[in-house]
Amino acid sequence: MEAQSLVAKSLLERGITRRDFLKFCALMAGTLALPMSYGTRIAEALEKKTTKLPVIWLEFQDCAGCSESFTRSSKPSAAHVVLDLISLEYHETLMAAAGFQAEQAREEVVKRGGYLVIIEGGVPKGDDGVYCVIAGRTALQVIEETVKNAAAVITVGNCGSFGGIPRAHPSPTTATGARFVVKEMFPDKPIIGLPGCPVNAVNVTATLVHFLAFGELPPTDQHDRPLFAYGALIHDNCPRRAHFDRGEFVREWGDEGHRKGWCLYKMGCKGPITYANCPAVQWNDGLSWPIGSGHGCIGCTELDFWDRPIYEPVKIQEAAPPAFYPSVEEGPEGKVDAVSAGITGAVVGAAAVAGATLLKGKKSNNGSSQPSDEG
Amino acid sequence: MTVSAKTISAQRTLSWGRMLLWGLALWGLVAAIYRLTNGLGASTNLSDGRPWGLWISIDVLAGIALAAGGFTIGAIVKIFHMKRFYPLLRPTILTAFLGYVIGAASIFFDLGLPWRIWHPLVYHNLHSPLFEVAVCVMTYTTVLALELSEVVFEGLGWRTLRRLVGAIMIPLVILGIVLSTMHQSSLGTLFVLSGWRVSPLWRTGFLPLLFFLSAVAAGLSMIIVEANLAARAYHKKLDQPLLAELGKYAAWVLLVYAIIKAATFVMSGGLAALGENLWLTLLFLVEVIVGVLIPLVMLFSARVREDRHLLFRAAFLVAFGVLLNRFNVSLFGLKGVAYVPTWAEWGITLGMMAGAILFFDFMVRHFPIFEKGH
Amino acid sequence: MGKKINRREFLKIAGASVGGLLLTAGAVTASGKEEVRPFKPVTDGYAMLYDATLCVGCRACQNACRRANNKPAELDPTGLYDAPNDLSGDTWTLIKLYKSEDGQTWSFVKRQCMHCIEPACVAACPLGALHITPTGAVAYDKNICFGCRYCMVSCPFGVPRYEWDTTTPYIQKCDFCTSNGRLERGEPPACVEACPTGALVFGTRSELLAEAHQRIEAHPDRYVDHVYGEHEAGGTHALYLSGVPFEDLGFPQLDEKPLPESIKIPLDYAVPSIIVGMTTFSVAAYLVTRGEEDKS
Repeated sequence: MEAQSLVAKSLLERGITRRDFLKFCALMAGTLALPMSYGTRIAEALEKKTTKLPVIWLEFQDCAGCSESFTRSSKPSAAHVVLDLISLEYHETLMAAAGFQAEQAREEVVKRGGYLVIIEGGVPKGDDGVYCVIAGRTALQVIEETVKNAAAVITVGNCGSFGGIPRAHPSPTTATGARFVVKEMFPDKPIIGLPGCPVNAVNVTATLVHFLAFGELPPTDQHDRPLFAYGALIHDNCPRRAHFDRGEFVREWGDEGHRKGWCLYKMGCKGPITYANCPAVQWNDGLSWPIGSGHGCIGCTELDFWDRPIYEPVKIQEAAPPAFYPSVEEGPEGKVDAVSAGITGAVVGAAAVAGATLLKGKKSNNGSSQPSDEG
Repeated sequence: MTVSAKTISAQRTLSWGRMLLWGLALWGLVAAIYRLTNGLGASTNLSDGRPWGLWISIDVLAGIALAAGGFTIGAIVKIFHMKRFYPLLRPTILTAFLGYVIGAASIFFDLGLPWRIWHPLVYHNLHSPLFEVAVCVMTYTTVLALELSEVVFEGLGWRTLRRLVGAIMIPLVILGIVLSTMHQSSLGTLFVLSGWRVSPLWRTGFLPLLFFLSAVAAGLSMIIVEANLAARAYHKKLDQPLLAELGKYAAWVLLVYAIIKAATFVMSGGLAALGENLWLTLLFLVEVIVGVLIPLVMLFSARVREDRHLLFRAAFLVAFGVLLNRFNVSLFGLKGVAYVPTWAEWGITLGMMAGAILFFDFMVRHFPIFEKGH
Repeated sequence: MGKKINRREFLKIAGASVGGLLLTAGAVTASGKEEVRPFKPVTDGYAMLYDATLCVGCRACQNACRRANNKPAELDPTGLYDAPNDLSGDTWTLIKLYKSEDGQTWSFVKRQCMHCIEPACVAACPLGALHITPTGAVAYDKNICFGCRYCMVSCPFGVPRYEWDTTTPYIQKCDFCTSNGRLERGEPPACVEACPTGALVFGTRSELLAEAHQRIEAHPDRYVDHVYGEHEAGGTHALYLSGVPFEDLGFPQLDEKPLPESIKIPLDYAVPSIIVGMTTFSVAAYLVTRGEEDKS
């Protein structure tokens, strides 16, 4: 029997039209910052798939928020087709199996190879990793065993990519991002990090689509974050940027500026130092996003964001001109200060007195000098 | 007439005046270090709208104008063979030399990159008035040093060297005259190129000529002023008739200067500008009345010239007038933003002057500056 | 008393000096002395035309210049914006706004080096650090400059600025992207390339002058009938069109005379005359008065 296209099967079973599927692929192309023609290419590539990609989803020091984010969806949509292209072989929170059965499933996938590992959560390195032990093995051992035959690794969430909450000061378990651990153990393994607290489901979906369609991970920055999602500062794409440029800031919760939707910089918004695509893809199926709801960005895609006070304004990294202009009448400014003026006055005054003293002198006949005590 | 070295050194070496001078010199040293380690922005109130300030106006412009006595006395004694003026020659050369050293040193501190002060020796823009000033001043300072070396060698007893310098003295003096004429006038040319920036009360293409003439007048007057100060400090008698004669020459130079200044003032539309700016008009009037007209009248009077105090005052006014003129052209009357010199700017200026006075005193005590020469 | 110069001697000396002066003057004129300058004025070099009526104040030019020349942002007191008020040690060009008193008339204006055909700064610089490049742009050699700042004093447009807050300061001004290599690679200055409305164009001076006049002719109600930079100070390579009077935009009113002309006589003629004249005078005086050395 000819192998059936997984996509075709999925669309049939879920009752989604192919049109909706194509729309979804176009949306993915857009999210991935690829040219529009890639929408068709993604669709074609996905439709060719006949076998599911095995996925092992590991969780360590996590809250399962990233899993929630990924699986949370208010209505069935064409995005769920992606779920039918992968086979989630191991996921502690979602799988039905437990105990030895669960671990066995994982070991078998590892033996077969060619799978994707998704890691959620931080990894404690302190005291040989005893602070996170699953089925008798430390997180470090689990990573060692599981990643060795993987085709690629995706670390999701700030915890997985940087260390998140567990890493925050004082970090009693000496936690760090799973990504750092994987890179140390397997320096040549293709790896991508999708930070966020939680990670944005759209970004996970898009990364998976990219991997499924093209067999490789999208281009990344120096933190292994895909550029399509983490390539620009929130500040540079923020719909409230014009208010920033005009100096229109919210100064108190509920004030007039807040009600008018002014810039939240002074309320501690971390947009100017945070790389993420929240302004574009937003959250909860595009319902809204923090700044859109009137609260500043907390910078959850950045390293050590839990150690930064949420309501303290940050330093602007790349300043740009404001919305106001210098006048043609403004020129270079003079430097005058009180101390210098005082000193100058004193010196000139002393010179004047000295001069007057010199000029005064008894009128006498020429020649004779009056010995005076000077020198 | 002369004072023996023994008498001078017998005086107290630490008096209030001397302490003040050393204090100023110390202030200058601290300011110099601060300037070199912290840059111009931190140590001065110069800015983009006021790139030149106290150092240029007082140490370079006024200082060099007032040091013009060096070449005028050299001309009088060595070129015009008026040997009776010889007693004034050595102290004047010494002060002129110190004046030019101060000028060079303050340029050093004023330059943004002081360690590149030697660049004019290698990079030339022959058609820049400032290049000409730089090269002339460098060369003339050397000439003055050589002229001064005759006294030094005499004091050290190095007869061969002394005779060597003596042999080239006339060419040196002539060179000094030529160089001085060149740079005294080129200092004026500086403000012709930037004439658009100079207030109409002082703006004229004849600034080079005016600068030169006023420098000669100032030089002659400073000889009189310094002779009086030295007489007081070192308990010497003044040769009043000699000074009176100098005063007469100064009077004539001042007269020519006044006429040309008046003519160029009217020619360049200065009359219309009078009264436009109250502050500048005031400065102009003070400069012209107190610095030119009054001393002019005084110096033409034999009675004034023969009176020690009156001649001193007249000469002082001329020197003050020239100082004020240089400030007017380069600072007060030069378009720019507000500016007031900082502690470091004053420190370097006053410190160098104090240092010069102390050095002068040192030279007088150890070398035959006031000795009767041949 | 002492010797005084008598009338005969005075006439002898005066005569010798005047003779020397005339000789020099004659020699200088007769030699048909050409303008030997450390630079050669380029009359039809590359120029920039800025049309204020097309400028929307986006400041793409200002930002592009910053990036192309690696200049840091000039933060305002709040530290939030890159908001220079004027040209400075870090700002080679900027957009300023003119608004009339009643607020009804306004215009943007881009300020930067005017790249004069015969610049005052080039004549002023004692070391030749500021020089005219073959393209007509006025460039700066930071290896030569020692920071006398005479260029700042002499520029009628107040263009050169200084880096006051460092111990190794250099003069800073627009150089038509000469030092960052754009011009060499055949690219226009970064500001011109960045302009989205075409308010900035780059080309030869004659081309742009023709274009500018064409625009005025085609839309006489839109423009002030004058191309600023065509004649001012002998002509500049930065040309301007505007809908409001140029004085309102902050441009100085200058006549056609290039500034270096003002010192031609003092430098090119007077200096050689002084050298010869004063030498002659001194030698003559020395010889003539020698006979009557007085003994004191």
